[in-house]
Amino acid sequence: MLRPIVLGGLLLTLAPAFAATKNVKPDPNGLPPHEVMDLQYGDVLFYFFQDDYFDSITRLLAAQELGRLRHTEGEAELLLGGLYLSLGEHVEAGRIFEALLAGKASEAVRNKAWFYLGKVWYQRGYLQESERALRQVSDQIQPRISAERYMLLAQIMLRQGRDDDAVAALSNWHGPPDWTAYAQFNLGVALVRKGRLGDAVRYLDRVGQMATANEELLSLRDKANLALGFALLQAQRAAEARPILERVRLDGPYSSKALLGVGWADSALGEFKRALVPWMALRKRDLLDSAVQESYLTVPYAFNQLGASGQAAEYYNSAIDAFDAESKHIDESIEQIREGKLLDRLLKDDKKDTLTWYWQLKTLPEAPESRYLYQLLASNEFQEGLKNYRELKFMSRNLDDLRQDLSAYDDMLDTRQHAYDERVPKADRVMAATDLDALTRQRVDFESRINEIEKRSEVAALGTPEEQKTWARLKRVEDYLAAHPEDPDLTDMREKLRLEKGVMYWRLSESFKARLWNERRSVKELEASLVETQKRAVLVRQARSGVPTNNGEFGARVAAIRARMDQLQQRLAALSERQNRFLQALAIEELERQKQRIEIYQIQARFELAAIYDKATSEKPKAHP
Amino acid sequence: MNLKFRVVSIIMGAALLAGASAAGASAAGAPVAAGVPAATATAAPAAAPAETPAAATPDFKTLDQEVQGVKKDVIELNKDLFVLEEELLFPANTQVAVYVSMDVGTFFALDSVTVKIDNKEVKNYLYTAREADALLKGGVQQIYLGNLKVGKHELVAFFTGKGPMEREYKRGATINFTKGVGAKYLELKITDKVSKHQPEFTIKDWE
Repeated sequence: MLRPIVLGGLLLTLAPAFAATKNVKPDPNGLPPHEVMDLQYGDVLFYFFQDDYFDSITRLLAAQELGRLRHTEGEAELLLGGLYLSLGEHVEAGRIFEALLAGKASEAVRNKAWFYLGKVWYQRGYLQESERALRQVSDQIQPRISAERYMLLAQIMLRQGRDDDAVAALSNWHGPPDWTAYAQFNLGVALVRKGRLGDAVRYLDRVGQMATANEELLSLRDKANLALGFALLQAQRAAEARPILERVRLDGPYSSKALLGVGWADSALGEFKRALVPWMALRKRDLLDSAVQESYLTVPYAFNQLGASGQAAEYYNSAIDAFDAESKHIDESIEQIREGKLLDRLLKDDKKDTLTWYWQLKTLPEAPESRYLYQLLASNEFQEGLKNYRELKFMSRNLDDLRQDLSAYDDMLDTRQHAYDERVPKADRVMAATDLDALTRQRVDFESRINEIEKRSEVAALGTPEEQKTWARLKRVEDYLAAHPEDPDLTDMREKLRLEKGVMYWRLSESFKARLWNERRSVKELEASLVETQKRAVLVRQARSGVPTNNGEFGARVAAIRARMDQLQQRLAALSERQNRFLQALAIEELERQKQRIEIYQIQARFELAAIYDKATSEKPKAHP
Repeated sequence: MNLKFRVVSIIMGAALLAGASAAGASAAGAPVAAGVPAATATAAPAAAPAETPAAATPDFKTLDQEVQGVKKDVIELNKDLFVLEEELLFPANTQVAVYVSMDVGTFFALDSVTVKIDNKEVKNYLYTAREADALLKGGVQQIYLGNLKVGKHELVAFFTGKGPMEREYKRGATINFTKGVGAKYLELKITDKVSKHQPEFTIKDWE
């Protein structure tokens, strides 16, 4: 019953907040697109919706620390409170809710958050805190949640012995039919406790006659009939009690007590023979049940009342033997629990990979002490303590897993450092062989030269090597002709030179602009390459000095986490041991209580047996004077 | 004969008061048996001691609060390690994270997603029903976290599943993106295109 309400409730709590993350603009295609506001918040929800609360909260806290929930800050904080609550961290959840809900949260969100916090506190036995949280819930809430809230408040009052308050709270309350049945039952109980049986009958009788097929309500109906039947018996109204006790189902969990009660009703009416029918039936059942234990006394009691003291003595003797054997079994179980393995045996078949506050141990392992522990398991204190123990073990396994990650990080940092140590000499050699300043100067010179060529229109300077060779040859011929100006044999040569030089110049001039543009582009590319090289050189220098620092920082963080991990493992181990001892003490206390009850029955049986023998002895002289 | 009253009061106390905790908050549904010690149960039933679990005992509360404290510290350590892992393995200047989101899902039931970056397959993920359901409820899955150099890259995603009319369905989506000096986030979005009665697959580049 708890699980769907809690999970459903948490989701409902989120629903209004989550709706705010969606795009509400109408979509031409008909459906509103689902707009994600913060990817990392969606990532948190991905795990949350799979009930993986541990991963979800880890990611949420990390995203908060890394500042990645800028658009979803409010709902993320609310979800964080819900996640803490789901993991049983009610103190932290309470702190978050108190801070968050005092402010801008909507009434619906506020109500649900307080309700679930109150419910968890109730479960853990923090009754005052639970009442305070539940009283923060307004009436503007779903009827079923409102009903459960009222019921929890009434139960807190009953658990604190505030019966008058409980009666006042429940008297005029109406809710959904099943919750009304619980309310009437609790009201009846509170009235009986106050000694107002007359008023209580009305409520308990109504629950005791309700028509239902629901197993939980059938069980409540049995309890109401049982409670009312015994209350009437106690008030010496056995004739009224009998039919009410007969309403209890024979195959239900309360049938043993009902059989005992029916026997007592017959007995109170002087119908001892009739009383023997339910009591003999009861006597065949498991002696573990306290009603069955009592039947070991009531059967001989009835025989005695019927004057069959021989049979009564026989049954008392048999009871003494049975109680003796049971007492020894309990002693053996106590010894086994003292060996300290109880909790690990209880959790042997448990699925260990989930962590939720609604977890409960449902089945007991096959072990000698198991048969005595059913009652203990019904107590919140034991269940919550067991849950704590289980969670401590989960946390310890989690740290063991993380320790392996840490070792991998250490290896990785070592490898990085090793690679760095290997690469640094090579990088240093390259850096030393590269004179970036000289290269920059060369680039400047080159650009100046291009400017000069352009300014002077030195077309030949940008010619191909072949052209430059030809141009140089022409220049040499020209110089020779200039040195022999009067030589008539050179006249043809002069004309030929003039023509060839003209053709050559024309060719060079024609491609000069394009060549100049190409040279300028080369200069620009060179400049860009030099800038990039300078950047890389800076990065190399930074990496050279930064890597050891980075590795060192990471190494320090890994070491710090490892130290925290060691310390946490010690705390977990110590707390597990204390939790184990605490629950062990509860179990032993429970077994000793059962043993004490059996011992009292045993004394009672011996006393009654002695009385029978006394009577028999004192009657004999009369029979044979 | 006091036997009768003793026994009746034992059962009485247990039956009445065990009942009071039944309203949906009783633990485990374990059978509730009589348990009031006989020695204290000889009083009248109306004054029988409370059998209902009382408020937490001081021992339990102290332990419970210490357990809460250590659990919170373990959660905190998990978070610190999570952050360390990301900063160590995927530093922001090279980090690229790819997410999958799904809206409505009327026309498409997701089976698997394959992610290729620069023509190299970096992830092939097969979804469980539980994971696909978490996506439909609004969860966003981080399908890939890796490192990329600054510059231009191409991401191709293939989605397989059941399309309209329960047919096998495989579609792809591509994006060219530039990786700068900060972390790069990409979202593979599966949405329903109602006008065409078809699913739609897009990739969003989160700046």
